[in-house]
Amino acid sequence: MKASLVWSVPKPEKVIAVAMRRCYSTKPIEEIEAELEQKGPEYWKYLMTRALQDKSLDVIEHFVFSIVIDGMWEDEAGRLALAFPYVRLLHIREGRWLISMNARTLIEIWRGKAFVGFAEAIVEEFDRKGVCPIFNSLVFGERARAS
Amino acid sequence: MRVKLLHYTDVNAVRDVLQSEGASFDSKTLLDHVAYMFEIEDCSRVTTHQLVRHRVASYDQESQRFSSASREGFVSPPTVASNQAAMKVYDDALKVVYEAFERMTALGVPKEDARYVLPNAIKTKLVMTVYARSLMHIVWQRTALQAQWEIREVVTEMFRLAKEATPELWTAILEG
Repeated sequence: MKASLVWSVPKPEKVIAVAMRRCYSTKPIEEIEAELEQKGPEYWKYLMTRALQDKSLDVIEHFVFSIVIDGMWEDEAGRLALAFPYVRLLHIREGRWLISMNARTLIEIWRGKAFVGFAEAIVEEFDRKGVCPIFNSLVFGERARAS
Repeated sequence: MRVKLLHYTDVNAVRDVLQSEGASFDSKTLLDHVAYMFEIEDCSRVTTHQLVRHRVASYDQESQRFSSASREGFVSPPTVASNQAAMKVYDDALKVVYEAFERMTALGVPKEDARYVLPNAIKTKLVMTVYARSLMHIVWQRTALQAQWEIREVVTEMFRLAKEATPELWTAILEG
């Protein structure tokens, strides 16, 4: 199974950090974004680590993306859609699908094991395209890279 | 109240992929693949209680466990604000509530417990990520005349921003 990135929210680590700060700050969003930009990726990583430790996965739902997946047959796509209703699938042709979802669902699919090949294909594509490297290393470790 | 569109899916990137693949698709199918991330500031908690009932979306809202309340941080409905006598009643009540909050926190009550006294009128801020299909449903329900004035204003602005950012999607949907 192979994934090709179509679109991802820009700077997903920062988007997740913005969502976290929104919960604990009274400042206008422009100030939150400017502060996060100034503090940089190490601080985004710190916030994301906190969210993952606290199992506050709601903030990760704002990391949304679309991919084309190749090599997934209709029975597997049907089971995936039933098990994870927030995965949005559009059939392109045999074995190929346009899929839109968020990264929280990706984590849940990864942890659920039943569709781990699907999740690994997406993480491998994120690695190739340099999408959200902090998220990838924090959540998926070395497993995706080794596969 | 202010709504800001922070991010949205590149509709043309999605459409180009489908067209290059030779896939036949209806514009309405794109509703499931176009997401918007909004930030909504300074609407009341009345309205955000209504908004989060639309569950197929992702929300992160300013917590009252840690933030302070201020006398200025309350929404006044137009039916109250336009009625001088009613506005005095409203203002007096908010003053009592706010002072109670301040006194309790000064007495060492944590904000997360003192907030139990705060009213639905308090202003709040949140970020929301929603796919176009859910947004369309929210617009259909919350811009109707039966909907309350504040959520109607919020959702009308969300839809205006979505249409402005991704006209190629909504033109096809609204004309189809």
